[in-house]
Amino acid sequence: MTALSVRDLSLAALAVRDLSLAIGRTNIVDAISFDVAPGEVLALVGESGCGKSVTAQAIMRLLPAAIRQTGGEITLGATSLSNLSARAMRDLRGRQIAMIFQEPQSALDPLATVGNQIAEALRQPLARVRAEVRQMLVEVGISDPDRRIDQHPFELSGGMCQRVMIAIALIARPAVLIADEPTTALDVTIQAQILALLRRLAAERQTAVVLITHDMGVVADIADRVAVMYAGRVAETGPTAAVFATPAHPYTALLLASIPRLSDVPKSALAVIDGQVPQPADYGTGCRFAGRCPRGDRRCVAETPALGPVADGRLVACFHPVGG
Amino acid sequence: METILEITDLRVHFPGRGGAPVRAVDGVSLHIAPGETLGLVGESGCGKSTIANAAVGLLAPTSGRIVVAGTDIAGASPRVLREVRAQVQMVFQDPITSLNPRMTIGTAIGESLLVRGRAAGAALRARVGELLQEVGLRPDHADRYPHQFSGGQRQRVVIARALALRPALLVCDEAVSALDVSVRAQILNLLVALQARYGMAMLFVSHDLAVVRHVCDRVAVMYLGQLAEIAPRDALFAAPRHPYTQALIAAVPDPDPAVQRARVSVPLVGEIPSPANPPPGCRFHTRCPVAVSRCAVDVPALRSVGAAMVACHLA
Repeated sequence: MTALSVRDLSLAALAVRDLSLAIGRTNIVDAISFDVAPGEVLALVGESGCGKSVTAQAIMRLLPAAIRQTGGEITLGATSLSNLSARAMRDLRGRQIAMIFQEPQSALDPLATVGNQIAEALRQPLARVRAEVRQMLVEVGISDPDRRIDQHPFELSGGMCQRVMIAIALIARPAVLIADEPTTALDVTIQAQILALLRRLAAERQTAVVLITHDMGVVADIADRVAVMYAGRVAETGPTAAVFATPAHPYTALLLASIPRLSDVPKSALAVIDGQVPQPADYGTGCRFAGRCPRGDRRCVAETPALGPVADGRLVACFHPVGG
Repeated sequence: METILEITDLRVHFPGRGGAPVRAVDGVSLHIAPGETLGLVGESGCGKSTIANAAVGLLAPTSGRIVVAGTDIAGASPRVLREVRAQVQMVFQDPITSLNPRMTIGTAIGESLLVRGRAAGAALRARVGELLQEVGLRPDHADRYPHQFSGGQRQRVVIARALALRPALLVCDEAVSALDVSVRAQILNLLVALQARYGMAMLFVSHDLAVVRHVCDRVAVMYLGQLAEIAPRDALFAAPRHPYTQALIAAVPDPDPAVQRARVSVPLVGEIPSPANPPPGCRFHTRCPVAVSRCAVDVPALRSVGAAMVACHLA
């Protein structure tokens, strides 16, 4: 155990400790740790290739064949997922831990009705649980549930398909929901509806939510806490309001400054991060952001900064944190 | 008034599955002055990309006029279109599918100059080198292939190719939407800088309102194939007149939790109707929080309200 949580672990619905993933010998996720409490929304945020989606797949034990877990432990309540048989894991999925994806239309079975797909999450025939399924459709805000329940995904809009996905994920009342870019494919007015829905259901049902996203606006909207990932590591984590108000990692600070906002000066120069994200084969030793970091020095290239506490429940992996 | 693009009562209809045509663009008029950037925003299916494609002659309109640099390209011959395309160039969303994987980027950037006889040989190579430098790449990159670049670099290549003929109008269709946040900032800075240097006009199509506000002088908001509102940037964002514009701006989550959580915005209810079967009256009335009975019957005309043109009975 390297990175210590600053919170009481017994509260966590899901805890990830020192998770490492690799393709062949190439490390892609390096000893990341985080936890989520019941009713809490934790955002894993970062750019393409930072490892946020494979982390979600590792939690669900749905990693592609080429990617191996090379270390660490994932615990769901009191159950360690790493040692579970494939069969036991299958029983857990949907009941204890569920997932929703970016493209709802491709995640749903095109040949099954909405009602049958939701009932399947309860491992029951629709006829036996029809009232419960109908109630779930109402809860996720689908109007005309008596008609929709017998329709197929192609008859529904993208936003409605995502509501159906959420119904499938939550009907068995799992302790943990993994949401991988759930609103990225949706229009902005529909995104606002889905985020409001996720926030309400997580609070009502005390579901722990891990939200994977690249959108800082989405994080600001619904995440209680955030873990900023860069090149397979957690750069910084803490309460959303604190991380956004005073980012401690230079990467977080630059990322936030590079976003056009409705309040900035039009056509003014946005902050940029020089260079590009390194490929996993080029990670090398030291901080993986060192090559692009305005604060980077020789130590950053030689040594790996550990995730350590800065203030008020926050952890940062940096030798030269902003404001520190 | 001098314009570089003048679209008048444009309609683009596609054959629909059930017989009724999909009215992707249904009676839109707008213009862009030289050097001006017009943002075109709206949600999926509102017709913004269809207008972009029609403006460069990639789509033949069902009716209406599209005048680019003084030439009407609606129904124009391939020969006329070829001439006009020296004036108007396009940057697409996905740079990897916009570039031929088997062509070096130097060849791709220089191709239009070569086929139009503007440059050849050493002069062409020098010009390509200049263009690469203008977009932040190096002249020696010319011999590389698209796969040797990152996504952001590829979009720089596409921009260099679009600038080769010094177009008077650059059409950007979701040009930064596929890019990561830090790379998006680089490309936005580049577009703003290039426009300041060369003074070309831009039609900037995007679903991202913060990005549109950042780069545009005026903004047109579309809903289901029609204009809801068109106004100077500051007027539109400070005092949006159309209820749809208001809802669209309110739905953009602010990347500042303190600001975002202090907002009291009620999400717009309902789904976007199909453009094959748009609602009667005002097309937005089925989702509009302030609609009255008249809105379901009368089609609102676009009219002047302050600095804006708004299609709403209640504005």
